[in-house]
Amino acid sequence: MGAWGYVSLAYGIVCGAILMYWFLLKRRYNAAEAELKRLRSSEAAANHDKS
Amino acid sequence: MGRSTKTVKRRKGILGGLALVAVVAGLCWSLLVAPPDAYQGEVQRIMYLHLPSILTAYLSYFLVFIGSGMYLWKRDNKDDLLAHAAAELGVLFTALTIIEGSIWGKPTWGVWWTWDARLTLTAILLLIYAGYLMLRSSIDDEQRAASAAAILGILGFLDIPLIHMSVYWWRTLHQPPSILRPDKAPWENVHPAMLTALAISFVGFLLLYFYLLSLRYRVGEMRQEIKALRLERGV
Amino acid sequence: MTLLRQAYLLLRKDLLLEWRRRDSLLTMFFFGTLLLFVFHFAFDMPPDKVVELAPALLWLAFLFTGTLGLAQLFQAERDNHCLDALLLSPLDRGALFLAKTAFNLILMLLVESVVIPLFWILFNLGSWNLLPQLFLVTLLGTLGFCVLGTITAAITLRARARELLLPLVLFPLMIPVILATIRCMEMVLRTGSFGDAIAWLRLLIGFDVIFLTIGVLIFDWVIES
Repeated sequence: MGAWGYVSLAYGIVCGAILMYWFLLKRRYNAAEAELKRLRSSEAAANHDKS
Repeated sequence: MGRSTKTVKRRKGILGGLALVAVVAGLCWSLLVAPPDAYQGEVQRIMYLHLPSILTAYLSYFLVFIGSGMYLWKRDNKDDLLAHAAAELGVLFTALTIIEGSIWGKPTWGVWWTWDARLTLTAILLLIYAGYLMLRSSIDDEQRAASAAAILGILGFLDIPLIHMSVYWWRTLHQPPSILRPDKAPWENVHPAMLTALAISFVGFLLLYFYLLSLRYRVGEMRQEIKALRLERGV
Repeated sequence: MTLLRQAYLLLRKDLLLEWRRRDSLLTMFFFGTLLLFVFHFAFDMPPDKVVELAPALLWLAFLFTGTLGLAQLFQAERDNHCLDALLLSPLDRGALFLAKTAFNLILMLLVESVVIPLFWILFNLGSWNLLPQLFLVTLLGTLGFCVLGTITAAITLRARARELLLPLVLFPLMIPVILATIRCMEMVLRTGSFGDAIAWLRLLIGFDVIFLTIGVLIFDWVIES
């Protein structure tokens, strides 16, 4: 493997890993946000019904 | 709802955007603008990844330390969230550091791995903070998990200088005469473009780090809120 | 009641309990000896190589044996819910830490005082005059192990897969102790004195002092009710 081969391997792995982490993190983020919204809105609905 | 979530989200977006710009700029400088090293050739470009990676890893561990200490002192969950997020990122960047170091090592020293001080030390750090994450996930009670992890966060960080010393002594006192001499970065006669590339890469990594940290922190924050809400409902 | 006095009383309680049943001590002793046997079969060592490998094997054996002892460290308290009682009493947590550390240290030293001579004989290591220096190194190394081990045993108390998690968390932190102890032993066995390895000895002492102090200070936070 030539010099540029090693460089591409290193840069490739780093970019790939960070992108994947970011992607998975975003997914966790969106899932949590959706769940939070759902819980908050049902809470609001429950309060509304009470009043 | 406190400071508008929209503002916070927009700020995160801006941070992310800046990070992207800096990272792309860093890539350009590292791969295209900076000249190859006189001794190491093109392979030296990996250092533009390796050095910032090490920096962000150590920054992470410092944040874990601060977060852990503050949590034990003030019992504010925010500090624990910070420590947890920083630990996760720390493990990521440490793993990357090791991989980069290994890939750099193959053409330079001829082997994928060598027990030189730097790589060994980084591997030990990875083990410690991976242990931190595993400790957290194996304790069911949130409070206990946070406390236990905080203790480990402090112990681990305080141990780092001792581990550093012992590993470096071990390697310098027992260095067998061989081709496996780790190359120190030659700072004399460094081409200005190389320094620029390094500087931009540092900035890029730091911005990226803080962007990811803010995301991860928020995820932790949301999860906590979700748990609290669920508990309220008896869900 | 002073810190030391509290620690002493707690230690005495643990020692009495252990003396009555002696199960931890015996298990550790047999396990340590067993490991030496296994190492002998695993490493086919010509006599001249033995001296080189001896410190490492010995210390590895103690490391694993000690981990066994650590798993038991808070077992008595857990089984009888004594931990809650201890925590409710106005006891300085630092005293609990010192007591547990000292208890484990004493157990390990007892085991080591039998296993080291045994090791000497089994592996034909020769001159006995080096034992005092070796004992000093072993003492300091074991102390380092017990100090960190007590803290890690306490924080992994409520964890699932505790037996696996404890060594996982402990061993990386122990690396300075492992390196220092083995290098000192090597130097002593090779040259009869500490020589250059005195730096390692200083590191070991520093390590022990630092983490002993930290342990006393933070054990409040380590044991949570």
